[in-house]
Amino acid sequence: MATQEKGRKFIVPIGPQHPALKEPGHFEFTVDGEIVTDATVRLGYVHRGIEKATESRSWVQNLYLLERICGICSHIHALAYCLGVEKLAGVTVPPRAQAVRVLVAELERIHSHLLWVGVAAHEAGFDTLFMYSWRDRETVMDLLEALTGNRVNYSANLLGGVKIDVTDEQSDAIWRGLDFLEDRTRHYLDITTSDSVFLRRTRGIGVTTPEQAKRLGLVGPTARASGIWHDLRVDAPYAGYADYPITMIVSDTGDLETRFVVRIKELFESYRVIRHILDTLPDGELVTRVPRRIKAGETISRVEAPRGELFYFIRSNGTDSPERIKVRTPTMCNMASVLALAVGHQLADMPMILVGVDPCFSCNDRTVVVDQGGARGGWTWEQLRQYGIDYYRRQP
Amino acid sequence: MNAESTLTIAAKLIEAWTVETRTPEANRLDVMVDGAHLLEAIRVLVDEGWGYLAAITGLDTSVDSGVMEVLYHFCEGAAVLTLRVSVPRDGASVSSICGIIPAASFYERELREMFGVRVEGMQGPKHLMLPDDWPEGLYPLRKDADLTMKEAEANGDSREG
Repeated sequence: MATQEKGRKFIVPIGPQHPALKEPGHFEFTVDGEIVTDATVRLGYVHRGIEKATESRSWVQNLYLLERICGICSHIHALAYCLGVEKLAGVTVPPRAQAVRVLVAELERIHSHLLWVGVAAHEAGFDTLFMYSWRDRETVMDLLEALTGNRVNYSANLLGGVKIDVTDEQSDAIWRGLDFLEDRTRHYLDITTSDSVFLRRTRGIGVTTPEQAKRLGLVGPTARASGIWHDLRVDAPYAGYADYPITMIVSDTGDLETRFVVRIKELFESYRVIRHILDTLPDGELVTRVPRRIKAGETISRVEAPRGELFYFIRSNGTDSPERIKVRTPTMCNMASVLALAVGHQLADMPMILVGVDPCFSCNDRTVVVDQGGARGGWTWEQLRQYGIDYYRRQP
Repeated sequence: MNAESTLTIAAKLIEAWTVETRTPEANRLDVMVDGAHLLEAIRVLVDEGWGYLAAITGLDTSVDSGVMEVLYHFCEGAAVLTLRVSVPRDGASVSSICGIIPAASFYERELREMFGVRVEGMQGPKHLMLPDDWPEGLYPLRKDADLTMKEAEANGDSREG
């Protein structure tokens, strides 16, 4: 790590390859001694040109592309997209499919929040908690794999419904898994609010008041830990949330400890709503037909991703591929708060303040680069498709 | 309060600067605003505490029309209010709203990078998402962006796809 002089102050550049994070982002912290006086960020290191790429793919292909914006909250991207396209097409998705969508979304939230608890504990130097929480997170990963066939990029959604059903055995397995996780989650809530060493890194650190949170435009659990009553599952219920209501978890203390408490309490809410769904899963179809060409029009689709509001703007010109898809991910909103909060804190608090918003760089960076097509040893769509067909033919 | 009455309040607030309104779907209101009055309209929404800025969308629908659109999406509960500003493709420019909503900074930097819309009064370094050596004047989300020139460069790149 190099330092360079700028007047009487020092700028400490951190990243893009990071001592603190697993994802690339470049920060420059101006420090006066140990205290940060200014901060800037440079993003885009995992920028893949997805918004542009959607314009040259069909509505169905885009479902797979958009699900791959993020490896942690993949289902919610696909869901936001599907809900938007279905609105444009004017189709009604069967209630069972909507319930299954919520089920997978909440399982995904559990895995995402547990992942965050681990990462945040790791940044605080509490590696025991990191390892335990990630061990327990395997429970929900296994459930997701059993349900959808995949640990990540579950691909549960179709335009018009879902492609998976929940059997009685799966329902029992989920129920058992949740019992175990609920027990563990209680333990985590206890530890993160009582371990005196850990609290030195979280209590009173990075305090964001409700006024600041509103001004900075925070979203998701980060905002709710600062007293902002904002959760799209409650404000504008989508998919099956009208039938399976959520109680919003809000606290106005606004420090890092509160962000732990809010996210952990949200886990209990997810456990509760999943049990509710399993108990009362409506019978019926899983998918309805959606035309290949989508009616011309514009729609906005907003959903509550694990990190906060995910915003999709979709415009169709009546053809079989979209004219424009705009994705605004929650980290985009929360990242600005890191820069604002950094000022006045110790340099050593930076990893915790950064991780406090649960940043997701892949989400953040998504948009434009260049579709290289079949150039330079790359594969064309035809070749890739043929490879897939041949591959599965060879399987016994 | 339901979304409809929330939107009615918003429509009243910015009535003075409204050129035209549309309701594209339930819970939504699109309001065309003259770019010269954008800041005033947004100032009123913020002063009255109506919602929050959820996103800024650049929209380039056709090269022939000679115009692009910049969409400012404000949300309050389930209601979405979109202020639409039309800008010419040549010399596209809007005023920065960061003085009113500091959180808009990333959105405006993205808009400038991807659509080549000048944002008057915007702070911050040139690039947010794209590489430092990205060609000058190439705005990738414009419909007529010629990205093949980048491909030729990429061919010399040692990374394999």
